[in-house]
Amino acid sequence: MSSIKLTRRESILLTLGGMFALGTNGVNAQGQSTLTFWSVRLNTPELQAALLPILAQFEAENPGIKVSNEPVSGNLVYPKFQAAVQGQQMPDVAEAYSYHPLQFAALDQMAEMDDVVADWESSGRLADVVNEFAYKKFFWNDHYWGVPYNLDPRAIYYRKDILEQKGIAPPTDWESFQAAVIAAHDPANDISGLAFPAGNFHITQHFFMGFMFQAGGSILNDKGELVFGTEARDANIQALTYLTDFATKHKVTPEGVGGWDTPDAETYFTQGRAAFGMGRGALIGQIQRENPTMFEKVGVLETLQGPKAKLTAGFYNPMFVWKFSPQLDAAKTFVRWFTEPGRLQPLYAANPGGLWPIFKSEFDSELTRSNPLMGEMLTKVIPFTTDFAYPGTGIPEMGVIDGEKMFAAPVNEVVVGTKTPEQAIDDAHKKMAQLWEE
Amino acid sequence: MLQKQRARFGYFLVLPALLLVVLLNVAPLIQGLILSMQSQNLIRPNPGNFVGARHYIRALTNDPEFWSSTVNTFYYTLGSVVFAYLVSLALALLLNLDIKGRAFLRALFLIPWVVPNVVTALLWKWFYNDQFGLANFALSKLGLISAPIQWLSTPSMAMPSVIAVQVWKLYPVMTVVLLAALQNVPREVLEAAKVDGANPLQRFWYVTLNFIRPSSMIIVLLAAIWTMISFDIVYLLTGGGPAGATQNLAIMVYTKAFWASQLGYASAIGVLMMAFLIALGIAQQALGSYFSKKAGEHV
Repeated sequence: MSSIKLTRRESILLTLGGMFALGTNGVNAQGQSTLTFWSVRLNTPELQAALLPILAQFEAENPGIKVSNEPVSGNLVYPKFQAAVQGQQMPDVAEAYSYHPLQFAALDQMAEMDDVVADWESSGRLADVVNEFAYKKFFWNDHYWGVPYNLDPRAIYYRKDILEQKGIAPPTDWESFQAAVIAAHDPANDISGLAFPAGNFHITQHFFMGFMFQAGGSILNDKGELVFGTEARDANIQALTYLTDFATKHKVTPEGVGGWDTPDAETYFTQGRAAFGMGRGALIGQIQRENPTMFEKVGVLETLQGPKAKLTAGFYNPMFVWKFSPQLDAAKTFVRWFTEPGRLQPLYAANPGGLWPIFKSEFDSELTRSNPLMGEMLTKVIPFTTDFAYPGTGIPEMGVIDGEKMFAAPVNEVVVGTKTPEQAIDDAHKKMAQLWEE
Repeated sequence: MLQKQRARFGYFLVLPALLLVVLLNVAPLIQGLILSMQSQNLIRPNPGNFVGARHYIRALTNDPEFWSSTVNTFYYTLGSVVFAYLVSLALALLLNLDIKGRAFLRALFLIPWVVPNVVTALLWKWFYNDQFGLANFALSKLGLISAPIQWLSTPSMAMPSVIAVQVWKLYPVMTVVLLAALQNVPREVLEAAKVDGANPLQRFWYVTLNFIRPSSMIIVLLAAIWTMISFDIVYLLTGGGPAGATQNLAIMVYTKAFWASQLGYASAIGVLMMAFLIALGIAQQALGSYFSKKAGEHV
């Protein structure tokens, strides 16, 4: 009987080879597709708990397609996606931030979603979308590169009890809002008139955006051309001055707002220390959890009528598909299924106020009927939401303008006193304009 | 023959580790240099286009943000390293004394070093909070301030506040190194100086400092490098604000690469950072040689 003798070298090589074989992904024997689905906005424990049964339901209805969900931290979203592009390891399908589909489309990484939008149009679903900018923001270079699947609004909350005590009616326009904030400011009783984030963070530009649109300003015009510091300059300065005056001139905000991020303003309001507070939709859930006794004393302010418009910031977040996905058909099947009206109600319930459907037919739900603040948000804020590029549709440059916080900087600079509103707008415009020169 | 086989086998075993070093250090360095000479603007077609020195020219001649970030980087580095050194030296001198509880104190002073940077930033952000922070609470209780100090939201205060955090992070490792150096200062030399009439300050200045100079140079250089490339603490505390007051080159690289999709430009800034660090190292070596020569002349 012959015996096989291995040298030490051969043994080591065999061991390494075996370990390699064990580590590699084998081909699925049943011929099942496995879609990688990266989620950026559905990553809290509550949202994950709501998401996984939805994915299980998809798999049950679509045998032959498995969905492997990978949560991606919001702070790592750009490095992760860029590394994936460089390494050609993009997920088959993803949901992420506003301008990702356009930025990746500029790199020729995105599958066109014209067919999905066409399906929506033929089924009447397109007309059911809350706002045409919700889907038009993903239209660039003659194609749709993503489809919206949820809405993330920004609102001004207020303390009904404080206003009642001081005999102040809930304001509806700029003049009455300014007067109400000043009148409600009560430092002797540790109540600030208004809490809003003005630090060098992304959230700062979200609230400036609302006032910018209300003043008739914008970043782009309807042709997608940069007008921030040109045609829209005066309106943008007016909006910036109006907002920052609360901190610098009227001094009705907490002193440290120049360094505040999202949680600072929202926590301050949740603690009952401000008469008015600017916050995300998710503030509704935060107040319910952290200060339930204050919940019934809080109202959502009707979107202010500005000098030119009645608009506020609302981000229509996309789903998009990788052009080079080996499971392109399965990925689009998943997107169509996932974005069907009514599908994502468990997600909305898991994050009250933080995630909203984009279809009007979904707005009247058990959740909005049972939660007063959600009901108020529905009528006073949601119909007036629009996104960064308004009145233009999306362009990849908006991802950079947003990413580099180019219009958060003006707010921060004016509040901390390093620039005047005029200087801040002009400098921000120069920075934005550089993008078109490169 | 057998020895040659063994040698080859040894190389074979070392190969994975060597590959790892090349992959994780040398390859990214070369890749970064290549990227810095390509467009790599990820919202434009043909990101691989060769652009030569265009990014470097832009940074050095046409981008005020680069120069303000550079100034902030040097401000942050100089402030952190100088104060960390002074604090470390004082602590090392204290720990070098024969005092009760010395071992416990040594362990206590190491705590900042083992706290992860993210936790450090969150702790200090709370500490500095103008509404809820311990700093303003303590100062107002002591009657030293009548209104909260805006540590992180005032441009003039933000960088010193961030420097204080970096000092807190740096001093443990600097203390350990300086303490080890102090413990190697020959007692007989100190006693000889004492016999010759040198007072404590003179003994410290002419004897102790001379003997700990090599260790000081090394730890100061290391601290300077760590601080110059430091990203997480500053980013989490201030995001580079307020109004860019704390934006250093590391934050600028991150922002340009990942939020502005300008990988090429970010790589060029990274290469310039490397050049600054190399210059720092050369300067430190030159300074070290100068002091060594001077010390030699005195002997």
